[in-house]
Amino acid sequence: MDDHASVIVMLNNTWFGSELAPETQERLAKLGTVQEFEADEIILHEGEEAIEMGILISGRLALRQMVPERGPVTILSVEPGDIFGWSAILAATKAQSTVVATEPSKALVIEGATLRAALKEDHALAASLYPRVLSAVGRRLRATRLQLLDLFAR
Amino acid sequence: MITNPVASPTAVARQWFLARSDLDALIQALRKAGRTVIGPTVRDGAIVNDEIQSAADLPAGVRDEQSAGQYRLAERADERVFGYTVGPTPWKRFTFPPILPIATAHRSGSFGFEQPKTVAPQLAFLGVRACEIAALGMQDRVFLGSPFTDEDFRARRKAALIVAVQCTTSSSTCFCSSMGTGPEVRTGYDILLTEIDEGFVIQAGSPAGAAIVAHLPTRQPTHAETGAAVDVVEAVRTQIGETLPIAGIDQRLKRQLDNPRWGVVAERCVECGNCTMSCPTCFCTSVTERSDMEGRISVTERLWDSCFDINFAKVAGGDFRARPRDRYRQWLTHKFSSWMDQFGSFGCVGCGRCITWCPVRIDVREELQAIAPVIQPIERPVAVEPVAASPGSYSIARLASVREETGDTTTLSLTDLDPAFLSGRPGQFVMVALPAFPAVPISISRFRANGIDLTIRAVGATSTALANLHPGAKVGLRGPLGTFWPIEDAYGRHAMVVAGGVGLAPLRGLVEALVANRDRFESVSLYYGSRTPEDQLFSDDLVAWSASKAIDVAVTVDRAGPEWKGRVGVVTTLFDMMSCDCSKITAFVVGPERMMQASVQSLISKGVPTERINVSLERHMECGIGLCGHCQTGPYFVCKDGPVFRLSELGDLYAREGI
Repeated sequence: MDDHASVIVMLNNTWFGSELAPETQERLAKLGTVQEFEADEIILHEGEEAIEMGILISGRLALRQMVPERGPVTILSVEPGDIFGWSAILAATKAQSTVVATEPSKALVIEGATLRAALKEDHALAASLYPRVLSAVGRRLRATRLQLLDLFAR
Repeated sequence: MITNPVASPTAVARQWFLARSDLDALIQALRKAGRTVIGPTVRDGAIVNDEIQSAADLPAGVRDEQSAGQYRLAERADERVFGYTVGPTPWKRFTFPPILPIATAHRSGSFGFEQPKTVAPQLAFLGVRACEIAALGMQDRVFLGSPFTDEDFRARRKAALIVAVQCTTSSSTCFCSSMGTGPEVRTGYDILLTEIDEGFVIQAGSPAGAAIVAHLPTRQPTHAETGAAVDVVEAVRTQIGETLPIAGIDQRLKRQLDNPRWGVVAERCVECGNCTMSCPTCFCTSVTERSDMEGRISVTERLWDSCFDINFAKVAGGDFRARPRDRYRQWLTHKFSSWMDQFGSFGCVGCGRCITWCPVRIDVREELQAIAPVIQPIERPVAVEPVAASPGSYSIARLASVREETGDTTTLSLTDLDPAFLSGRPGQFVMVALPAFPAVPISISRFRANGIDLTIRAVGATSTALANLHPGAKVGLRGPLGTFWPIEDAYGRHAMVVAGGVGLAPLRGLVEALVANRDRFESVSLYYGSRTPEDQLFSDDLVAWSASKAIDVAVTVDRAGPEWKGRVGVVTTLFDMMSCDCSKITAFVVGPERMMQASVQSLISKGVPTERINVSLERHMECGIGLCGHCQTGPYFVCKDGPVFRLSELGDLYAREGI
């Protein structure tokens, strides 16, 4: 089990966590737990209730969606420093994709309901966290648009 | 056009000395000649140009202190009367009045329009500086240089006698030496005064000026006095320096129409129009009507207007320059770019009034350098002389081997070719031809000891025919052509290669050169994106480069099945989360145009300087040597001036639709 201080160090080494206020890092470290996943371990199945948000510390996760007659298609990989399951911030919802570790991975995982309650009650936490989440989501949106363009197609 | 009095700068013109105590004799001689004398005088805390009666009206012992948004008068330690620079009044006020009746219309009794006759006052302008003479000349070209002329201006200009004064001091706002208009008065005057300790060294520049000087109590100047007159102007030139690199700015500005700085400066600008009103060259006007209550007689007046006015470009359907940034851009680009196209010179003389009288301290020099900085010329090693340079002439090479890279991309290894091809540089290309097929440009993807590799995606007739060749086949080559990757630009820096799809081909030679010279770079990294894992080029090389530890290799694909354990996402996701001192990156980017655009935007947002971002453009080419015109992009032929460009060279041309 990683202690509190080492979790903060881990957060500080991530793209997502490094620009959060120290109090926010502190709070997230308290709210979450560090979890480790083996290669090929499925963290969340598409269609299941998505109840956690995570910050990937190391390793790699793949987000896959099942396409009939084509099988699972990887639409995005989550790299260290990025977040996954961010929609749990808004409400408990069905997972839109399967999350699988493609290599041994470690993440700080925060239970969605706990995080939502903390954000509602602690405005400083919300003011610090939301811009970072929006930045991650915006980056992913821009990348998705480029994927839609199928730039390398003839 | 007005024929300005011309004094040759090379001829030694006759000079006289006039004591300061006798200066009033000049003013009275001008008045006696029937002229109203307009000269500098102190009013409302500034030195303005207005009618003066005698030398007592001049600002003796007064100096000015000017900087951006600042103008103050102070005392001098001496009694000099021209010991300051330019005040807020441009001389155009007297040749191009702020308000001028241009027609009277009446409908009482008869119906008609009448144009008033200009009665140009006989004026003498006393104290005109070099930059201001240049400004009068610019307005000559505007008002008198086309088939449609302003006869009121012509009459007023012709009736004005110019008594110029050499600048003996300067302000921090002066930049005439950058604009080539001063500080030395060389031409365009009737009488020229240079103020020294005891009085004035005088020259006449026209018969009218000489006639006035003949009535003055002058004497021959001493050598010391003429020497002092030369030295004082030279000292001012040194004081001012050349603070604004002006050469080529008209062209540089044309490439910066979308620069975000327009928005930044527009947030500061309050659009008061002070810059245009105090400018000695601005000539825009509007026409207004004044009528009696019954509409029987109306007077049409022309008024100075400003392109900063919110209604300046308004039409019934809307406003062509609705945003402040549009209006600021209009003003600056007119002064320093399109004025050159219209009138053959810049529309600025460097007097600095727009800087001094800007209430929010916008300094046009700073804005110009921020928006259109000087692009350091690219010092590239000289490219090898191409073989078979003229279209239709080809050097023959033999195909040694063929390697299928992906489903539609093939690498041809050529040998038995002219040694000059081996001296090419990564980034260059060759024109490749087969009998009965049009030649196509193909990047050289590798230089080997005895040949070169060409990596070809089969997309057209020639490329498909090339991809289907077998070892032993022969092809025609012209090249190596075009510019190459400026690898020296990355010495001591982070060398970052960004490739998309088949764009890795023109970069492979660069990557190999970076790896071979690894010690010269702070770091070397390759970010490569392709559509699927199966579309990756040079898979063996990617593995070998990763294993070598000399280069950090990160690859990603746009989509993949579950068997792919690597990254999935567009290539920009590889460095979107990168953290480093990005100002120390030198980037080399090739891929589909939209992918390059996204990569470039990401790099710029991280702080990579545009002069350190290199891109290779793909354009339609028929000749490869700048003759056929197909690949023209702005001022460049991509085949000859590119295909490798620094982003700063391309400016707004890059990724602009329709260029």
